[in-house]
Amino acid sequence: MRTIGLAATLLLGATLAGELAAQQPRLDRRVSPEVQRAVQVIAADAAARGLPVDPLVQKAIEGAAKGVPNDRVIAAVRALAGRLGESMAAVREAGVAAPGGDVVEGGADALNAGFSGRQVSDLVRVSRPPHDAALTLRVAATLAALGVPTKQALQLVQGTIGSDRSASDLLGLPGQVQAGVARGATPAQAAAGLARAAGGTPPGRLPDWVPPGQQKPKNPHKP
Amino acid sequence: MTTGYHPLVKRLLDGELSLAELPPELRAEGEEALRLVGAADRAPVALSPALEERVMATVRGHAASLGHAASPGHRAWRWLNTPRDVELRLRVRPWTVWAGALAAAAALALLLGRPAPEPVPGAQARGGTRDSVLVRFVLYAPGAHRVAVAGTFNQWDRAAAPLVPAGTSGVWTTTLALPVGQHQYAFVVDGARWVADPGAPAVNDGFGRRNSIVAVTAPGAHL
Repeated sequence: MRTIGLAATLLLGATLAGELAAQQPRLDRRVSPEVQRAVQVIAADAAARGLPVDPLVQKAIEGAAKGVPNDRVIAAVRALAGRLGESMAAVREAGVAAPGGDVVEGGADALNAGFSGRQVSDLVRVSRPPHDAALTLRVAATLAALGVPTKQALQLVQGTIGSDRSASDLLGLPGQVQAGVARGATPAQAAAGLARAAGGTPPGRLPDWVPPGQQKPKNPHKP
Repeated sequence: MTTGYHPLVKRLLDGELSLAELPPELRAEGEEALRLVGAADRAPVALSPALEERVMATVRGHAASLGHAASPGHRAWRWLNTPRDVELRLRVRPWTVWAGALAAAAALALLLGRPAPEPVPGAQARGGTRDSVLVRFVLYAPGAHRVAVAGTFNQWDRAAAPLVPAGTSGVWTTTLALPVGQHQYAFVVDGARWVADPGAPAVNDGFGRRNSIVAVTAPGAHL
């Protein structure tokens, strides 16, 4: 048993080392040595906590490409690492013990768009095949970015999933909200119209509300 | 045939006794035996030359099949190709087996974690599949000398995806193949000014600016 534990530790260490080593050349030619050193420390800490490293590297590269001062790049990378950690906790709260990097990153996007940790958990809970939790979180984040209030965005997403729409329909929601705004509606009005069409939760109901006669969606992440 | 003769007659045939030495009652039997043996054809048998040739050809062919007449290369190949029973015995300590297995696993992890090839525009997916679709980017930027689009799909490279002017109207455009999924991007005007897409949802980029979001849903569709 002790040998198996040692083997698992060695394997995990080798994998994390490999992942971090893979990021090194990407940073080499794009960011300053100061940012590179700081990002490596932040990324190593994130990897040790099971968080995805790629978004941190991407953020550092983005900051350098935009000509942002080093200290602000480092602060942004550190803030993103914090959001990834918060997202991980929220996703686990939803019953997903070992979430994939995409889901954690999607949760961080949702947090950045204004969702609370509890709302991130709710979004993960309502996701069920064929709807991937990462996609659900990103769509919700985009709706919030369009100006749809987070609570309403949550209801719209849940209503769409609950009415057995396809993943493509879910991903198309922000475009439909934009089309509604282009016709003169506010983002909230456009989202409410879509929620009514999808049979989603009426305003004032809890996020897990389902219309009478319909079964509450089963959470696929719960054992 | 001779088993019926009297033992004394047999001795006669063997030359041990003469006919006169036989008892009188056995002399007739002795004379008959001598007559039959004398009538036997004792001429040597001569085989047909054709038969001898056929027999010798068969013998030579059999010898060749056994390798007596094969070339050295042929014999070597037969030696290599002939199945043999081999008994292999190893004496190892259990910890050396574990160490070898762990070393192999660590080497595999490092191999898989090697730096990936440098991504090309439109070749990096975020929360999607590797299926790419064409997405058209348009920006109205009258008076601009250069416009490009940079984002998570091209490592925020300002030079990777330039837009071309559509006549003299101030409209700049380009079409990129993007993987299905959600991407963040911004336009770069004249190599320095980062501009969010006014026709797309945007989120805080962490540096005090806004990133636009494009969600590629199906071939040709985007938000």
